[in-house]
Amino acid sequence: MSGRLKLAASFSILFLAGSGIACAQQQVIGAPPESLNMKLVGTSDLQARSGYQPTIHQQGDRWIAYIGHHGGSDDIPAPVNPQTGKAEPNGTSIVDVTDPSQPRYLRHLPGQEGKYEAGGAQMVRICDGKALPKGDHNAVYMLRTFGGEAHEIWNVADPANPVLITRIAGLKDTHKNWWECDTGIAFLVSGAPDWRTRRMTQVYDLSDPAHPQKIRDFGLPGQEPGSTGAVPTELHGPISTGPSGNRVYFGYGTNKGGFLQIVDRDKLLNGPREPTADNLRAPEIARLAMSAFNGAHTTFPMPGMPIAEFANDKDGKTRDIVMVVDEAILNECNEPRQMVWFADITVENRPMMISSYTVPEASGSFCQRGGRFGAHSSNESMAPVFYKKMAFISFFNAGVRALDIRDPYHPVEIGYFIPAITAATDKRCVKIDAKDRCKVAIQTNNVETDERGYIYIVDRANTGLHILELTGPARAVAGIR
Amino acid sequence: MRRWPVIVSAIVALGALSGAAAYQHVAPRHHERTGAWQEIAWPFPRDGWPAGKAFRCGATACGGDIEVYVRPKMGFCNCDRGVADDDEVDRVADLDLLSQHFAPLAPGDVVRVADMPGRIRAYDLKMSDSSRHAAIGVAVSRRCDLLVAVVHGKGEASEVRRIALAFLATSEMTRWMTAAIEGR
Repeated sequence: MSGRLKLAASFSILFLAGSGIACAQQQVIGAPPESLNMKLVGTSDLQARSGYQPTIHQQGDRWIAYIGHHGGSDDIPAPVNPQTGKAEPNGTSIVDVTDPSQPRYLRHLPGQEGKYEAGGAQMVRICDGKALPKGDHNAVYMLRTFGGEAHEIWNVADPANPVLITRIAGLKDTHKNWWECDTGIAFLVSGAPDWRTRRMTQVYDLSDPAHPQKIRDFGLPGQEPGSTGAVPTELHGPISTGPSGNRVYFGYGTNKGGFLQIVDRDKLLNGPREPTADNLRAPEIARLAMSAFNGAHTTFPMPGMPIAEFANDKDGKTRDIVMVVDEAILNECNEPRQMVWFADITVENRPMMISSYTVPEASGSFCQRGGRFGAHSSNESMAPVFYKKMAFISFFNAGVRALDIRDPYHPVEIGYFIPAITAATDKRCVKIDAKDRCKVAIQTNNVETDERGYIYIVDRANTGLHILELTGPARAVAGIR
Repeated sequence: MRRWPVIVSAIVALGALSGAAAYQHVAPRHHERTGAWQEIAWPFPRDGWPAGKAFRCGATACGGDIEVYVRPKMGFCNCDRGVADDDEVDRVADLDLLSQHFAPLAPGDVVRVADMPGRIRAYDLKMSDSSRHAAIGVAVSRRCDLLVAVVHGKGEASEVRRIALAFLATSEMTRWMTAAIEGR
C-alpha cells in the first residue's frame, strides 16, 4: 500500500469506529418506539414502579392486569401513590385493561420495603375461586410474593379493594411460583430458612386458599438441610402441566450453569417427603444441563407439537418441546449472551437442545444502548391464541421480540417492539474507572399475553406497562384476523 | 498531509503506553511481592465465571504448601444484603473447584477484605486422592458484585486462615482486588 492508501485506510477505520458509536441508537425522550409487525394499543405508567411479572385475568366481563413490582430504587425507594398521596413501597399494581387502549389504574397494593430485588412483590398468579376444588366460588384469588419474606393470598374479586386471606411467612427468599388453578397445587419458590440455598420449592395444597396445607419441601440433593459439599445452583421457577401432563419443569440457574429438570409430578406430590438426598432424587426423570455461560429462567413446556418438516416421517412427527429462556443480569453486555433455547424432550431421558434464538446485537447496537441486553422471560399463558405458534420474549433494551415457533427447530423472529423512554425511565450504570457511567434505556423485563391476543410488556426501569397487538404477517402466524 | 500518519501513530502509541501503565498500576507485581508467594497459572477449567488469580506459598515460608485462588464474580442477586450467611459462603466461595466434598469445621465469621464486608469459613476438604486438606472460603461483596477466595493447605485450618488473610491484606492484593471488583 502507498502512504496515501494507508492514510485513507486509517481514516476509514476511524470513521467506521466513530460512526459505530454514533449509531448506538441511544434512546432519547420524545423519539418514537421502534417496532416491526407490532403496534402500541395503550399504556399505563404504573406509578413509575419497576415492573416484574404481569398476569392478565378475565373476571366476568372485565380484564384485569396484575403486575408485580421490584423494590424501589436508590433515588426513589417508595414512589408516591397519586391515589393515596402517600409514599408506598412497590408492591402490586392492579389495572383494568378491559379497554386496552384506555387502561385504568385501580389500585396499588404495597409490598415489602426494600430496594430492587430486596423488596416489592415481584410475582403474581391468579386463580378463580370457582376453579379451585375448595375455593369460595365468589372469590378471585391472587397469590403474590411479599418481598423475600412471604407468600400472600388475596381475594381480588373486587380488584380495586383486595382483601388479605392468608400469609405463608418466615422465608429468606421467594421467586417465580406456579399455581395449578384446577387442583390448587402450588409450587412456591421459597427460601426455607434451614435449606442451604436461597431458592427451592415448597409444594403446597392451596385448593382452599384460606387454609394452606404444606405437602413437602423439594430441591436438589446438596441443597437440603444438613448436607455438605458443593451446593447446586438455585431454583428460578417451575411450570407444571398438571395431573394430565404429570410433569413439572424446573428451571435452575439464572445466567450461569443452569439446567432444566424434568420431574414426575405424581411422584413429587405423593413420594416420601423427608428431604433426604434419595427422596429428592426420586421424582426426577432427567436433567438437561446447559453451558456454564447460561441459566434457566423460564422453562415453558409445549408438548405434542406437530413438526411440519417431519410430517412424512414414520416416527417422531410430533415432538415435546420445552423453551428455556435465560436471564441477562449485567448491564452493557458484561456477561455471555443470555438468550432462548429450544429443547426436544420427546425422549425424556435424553433431552437435547435443538435450536436457539437471540436478537442480533448489531441490529440496534444494543451493547452500547445502556442497561441489560439479553433475554429475561417469555409469556407463560397457554391460551390457544398463541400457544405452540408464537412466543414473546422480553429482551431488556431490545424490547419484546415475537417469534414464530411453529417449527421449534428453526424459530424465526417476526416482530418486535421497543417502547420509547419517558421522563420516568430510570438510568442504568456501569463502572468505568471506578466511576458510574449511566445511560437511560428501556428494560423490558417481562411479557404476558391474554386470550384476546394482546401482549403486555412491563419495564424494569420504571417506564410502565405497554399493551401491544400484532400487525401484518405476524397476525397471520397466530391466525388472528 | 504526511504528518497525519505520524500524529495517528503517536496517539496510538500513547494510548498503548497509558494502557500498559494502568495495567502495571493495578496488577500485582511479582518483584514487589515477598518471596513467599508466587503467582501460578489458574488451574481450573473454564466455568461460568472468568478465571481469577492463583498463588502458592511454599513449605519453607508458610510451614506447608498453601494455595490461594481469588476472583471477582460480577453480578450477584443479594445487592443489599451482601453475603448474608454461611450458606452463602458454601455456595459461592469456589470450594467446589477444589472438591465437591467439603464440610464446614465451624460457623463462619464476619470478615473484611479489600475494604469489602463478607464472611469467612473453615472447611475440611476431601480431595480426589482421598487426602484431607484444610480449606478456607472467603466471600465479600460490594453492591451487586462478589469477590471470592478459596485457600487450601495441609496445615491446621486456623494457621491456613491466618496466613491467607495476611496475604490478601497485602497492598498488592488489595490493589488488585479493588481494581478487579471495579471492573478495571
